[in-house]
Formats: sequence, C-alpha cells, structure tokens
Amino acid sequence: MVEEKKFYLTKEGLARIKKEQEALKDLMLAKTRGESPKVMHSEDLNPEYLAFQEDMNFLQKRVSELANILKNIELIKLPKKGKKQIVDLGATIMAEIDGELDEFKIVGTLEADPASHRISNESPIGQAILGKKVGETVVIKTPLVNHSCKIIKIKYSEA
Amino acid sequence: MKGIKRFKVDTKELSQKEKALFETLVAAAELIAPLYIRQKNERYPGSNFYPPDATVKEIEKAAMKDPAILDPYTFVERDKSNNLVAVPFHIKFKKELKPIAVLLREAADLSENQNFSFYLRTQADSLLDGNYQKSEIAWLQTEFFKIGFVIGPIERYLDKLFFKKCAYQAWVGILNQKKTQEADRFKRIILASQRKILPGSKKVDVSKLSIRVDNTAIFSGLIADFMFTGTNLPNDVNLMERYGSSLTIFLTSLDLKFNQDHLPIFYTVFEKKIQNKYSETELCLASFRCILLHEISHSLIRYRDAEKRLNNFFPVFDELFAYILGIKACGTLILKDAISHKELEAIIIMHIARNFTWWLDSLKNPDVKHYAIGSAIAENFYLKEGAIKEKSGFLYVDLAKVFICINDLSCIMDHYLGLETYEEARKFVKEYCSPSVFKKFLPKLKKVVKKTANV
Repeated sequence: MVEEKKFYLTKEGLARIKKEQEALKDLMLAKTRGESPKVMHSEDLNPEYLAFQEDMNFLQKRVSELANILKNIELIKLPKKGKKQIVDLGATIMAEIDGELDEFKIVGTLEADPASHRISNESPIGQAILGKKVGETVVIKTPLVNHSCKIIKIKYSEA
Repeated sequence: MKGIKRFKVDTKELSQKEKALFETLVAAAELIAPLYIRQKNERYPGSNFYPPDATVKEIEKAAMKDPAILDPYTFVERDKSNNLVAVPFHIKFKKELKPIAVLLREAADLSENQNFSFYLRTQADSLLDGNYQKSEIAWLQTEFFKIGFVIGPIERYLDKLFFKKCAYQAWVGILNQKKTQEADRFKRIILASQRKILPGSKKVDVSKLSIRVDNTAIFSGLIADFMFTGTNLPNDVNLMERYGSSLTIFLTSLDLKFNQDHLPIFYTVFEKKIQNKYSETELCLASFRCILLHEISHSLIRYRDAEKRLNNFFPVFDELFAYILGIKACGTLILKDAISHKELEAIIIMHIARNFTWWLDSLKNPDVKHYAIGSAIAENFYLKEGAIKEKSGFLYVDLAKVFICINDLSCIMDHYLGLETYEEARKFVKEYCSPSVFKKFLPKLKKVVKKTANV
C-alpha cells in the first residue's frame, strides 16, 4: 500500500487551513442555497449554468484537497530538551550560505514562502540541513554549482 | 520628435480626472527633451556639458577655484575672457523650464492624492530654483500612486569626462499591480541574505528599497536615448542612505527590447541545443528577472567613495557588478526552492544575450559605451575561463562554468568598486574590454537586429 504524503504544519498553519475549508464550505452552501441556473437556455447549454458548474467544481476540488491535507497532517512540535541543538521542522536557523548570512524557518511545503523567510523542508537547503547541529557545514550539490552552508544558530519557538 | 519615445499604454484603470492628470504629465515630460538635446551638444560629440575645446586638466584647474564648475547641475561655458564659468541649469534653461513647472502645478491641482500632489509642486519648484534634493526626498516619501512620474536632471551617463553632471529626463507610466507584487516578492527573497562587507570599504546601507513595475507611456530626454528597462534612484548615496531608494522597472521598454533585441540575438548567437531548450515564455520571464535582479543589486553595492575614486570608470564597474551580483544571488534562490535550475539557466542565457544587446546599442549610441565595456568584460572573462566558446558561428555555453565565473567576477568587481584605485581600474578594463568577442557575430546579427542595419 502506498503511504499517503504527510503534511507538516505549524499550529497557525493548521488554523489557516481549517479556516479556509470552513469558508469554502460556506461559499458552496451559499451558492446552492438559492435557485441554481437552468442547464438549458432555449436549445443551447446555459452559459450561466456552465459558469456555476465550473465554480462548484473548483470549490469542490479545493475542499477535497484540504480534507486530504487535514487527514494527513502532522503538527510541528517543539523538540524535546536534548534535541534543541538539532535542525528539525519548526527551527529558525541562522546560517552562512556561501559566505552570506541568512535566517529562515524550516516549515512544511504548504507554509513555505521564501519571501517571508519560511523555507520548505523539501527544498535543497531544507533537505541538506535537517538533522544537522550548530557548527556543522554541509555541502549542497546542485546541477550548476555546489554551495556550502554552515549552521550558526538554531532556535525553536512556539509560533 | 527627437529625444522622445511614446508607447501605447492602457489607461482604462484611470478615472477621468486621473486621465487628465496623466496627459498633463505626459505634456510636461515632452518639454524636457529639448533641454536634454542641448545638454548633449550633438555638434561636438563627447563634449556634453563642457566647451568642446576644454581639456580635463583645464576643467579640473578651474574647478579648484570654483567648485561649481564640477557641480552636477551646471553647464560649463567660456566667458568673454575665455575663462571657464559655471551656469546652473535652472538659470540657463529658465525660460524653457517655466512652462514645465506650470504644467506640473496644473497636474498637482488635478491629483486627489495629496502626497503625489505635494511631490509635483515640490518638483515644479525644484526645476525653477535648482534645489533638486527636496524634490527627490518628496518623491522617495510618496507612496505608490497609479501614475509613476519622474522629471529633472538625474542621470550622469552623458558626462563622459567626470561622470558628474546630470542630464534631463522624464518618464510617465502606469503602475502594473500584478508585476509589482511579483517583483516585490522577489526583492524580499533577495534581501533575506546579508552580503558580507568588504573589509576596509566604505559601504553604504540603503535604509529601504521600494519597487514598482510600470507600463510606460513616455520616455523623454536621456532615458529615451538609452531606453532603460529599469532604474534605481536616487543616485546620491547620502540621500539613499537616509531615505532609501526606489526602483522602477519599465515593462514596456523591456518587452520591446526583449522582442527586438534579446530574442533575435538568442536565436542567432546560441547553438541549437540551447535554442531548443528554452521557450520564449521562459526567456521573457528570465529577461524580466535579469533587470529586476540588476536594479535590486544596485542598492546593495553602494560605496561612499566609489564614484570619486573610479571617476569615469565607475559606471562600467557599477553596472556590470549589479548585473552579475543579481545572478549570483540566484544560487541561494535555488536552494530555497524560490526558482528552478532551468529558470536560473534561462537568466544566465538572457544575461549573455543582453551583453550582446549593449554592444550593438553602443555602435549606434556611443553614450551607452560603459554598458558595452562592462558587457565585454563579462564575455571576455567567460571566454578566458572556457565557460563560453564560439564554434562554427554559434556560441556554446557551459552554464555551470559561467555561474562559477559570475561568482568569481562578482568578488573582483566588489574589490574594484569598494577599494581599488582609478589606475588599477583602468588596467583591468584595458585587459578585458576587447569587443572581438562580439564582433565575430556581427555579420549574422546585422540580418536579424533591425537597429544594427545601419551599423
């Protein structure tokens, strides 16, 4: 049996997903509460019906996606005391990448946003530094060039 | 009309009043072009701002007595006794500037955005009294408005002798919201990393960096000649340090350059394997990112003393460094999954195509020579390191090697901009500036790039 993909989420990420799911369900309900457009208009398919159907399909697809995510989530928790010096999901890392200082948080793919310093655990750098400790240097191979990344600081916080 | 480029722009997002404001600003922009033409002194190419018979030594000597001679906002002329004298732009062009100021005040009355209105009035005053700093500050403190507008003596590229005097230019554009958001996101990713400071250098930290992407309606003055695809202002490092800098990407000219130059160059110069690998959509995005990375990088490479130290070589190093530093930063973007490998490859390819474009442009307009020299330095560096090679009339590129070269060249450029002397900069330029790397392709390029038809 193929194992379903796990989705790692912070508490706030989980709350956001739940909120989105509720909002979409409400929207679907609101759309179906009134009179739906008729399938046929004269002898042709009613364009309003087609648009309605397209919207509903889109909403349904997203609601299903969210349901699948919620079914397979794993909440990112603070590590145990002895493990706080190891990079894991939820850690905020200060690192020196090719001589430049960088600070970012390791999150699951759903919450990744490099513009907000949130880097996916599946990104090349995420994969390379998970499990590493302060002071360790890793070489990250990419098709164009190899990068070096030295972990300067690891920090865990609730948010 | 000479010194003016008009572009079709969609104004349907503007209200009636904003449309009137927009048209008034376009009219004001048009009036700046004749002043630029006079600054350019076409009768004596290269002697812009100075009497054609004045030597560098004579100008420097005169500037010791009267610093206004080398002030960014003065014209240098000869008086009756044949001595060099400085005439401020706002006095020399007083008659021509008055109607522009009137239009700016009319536009200010039409604007319902108080900040923008204040900026326009300050700008009108600046043109007439020569206090350009106050209008630059007002511009930097104006939050983004639907209409983008800049006017005044701004860029120094026309001063071939000292890289000091500012040429008139103006542009009017309409904010492209979607592209602006995309650019802002990219900017935030780039700025997440802190570049190491070169020990001993006088690095300037830019307090904030705002970014907008415009659909351009008009270029007037220097910008029409140079057809910029982006700009990062102010040029004054002290202002930038205190008030931040504002970056504008001109989507219209970028699209035009992409279709007229970059793409035809891509299909002419690069070997078939590369040609087949990237779609036009991928290359268009890469071209946009190239200029975006370039302009963002400008804010990261300011050194307090670089312009004075490197003098007329400053723009060569400054422009080239901005191009390659932006590409270098993409290495980290890949690590963070912010762009893909293929996207970085396309950026490198477009960077090389842009180098060809600058060289071709310089054949027609010698004023863009500093860009062409920078481009030649990069190409020769790649060639020397075996990262690119010409075979049977096509360019073969080892992308991994080019990327390593870009990293190495970035360190070299940083060193020259941050620390080196004028003499050392001159030697470096001399070693790497040969245009033969481009010339090999000229017969082929002539057929495809319209602009080179009369080369």
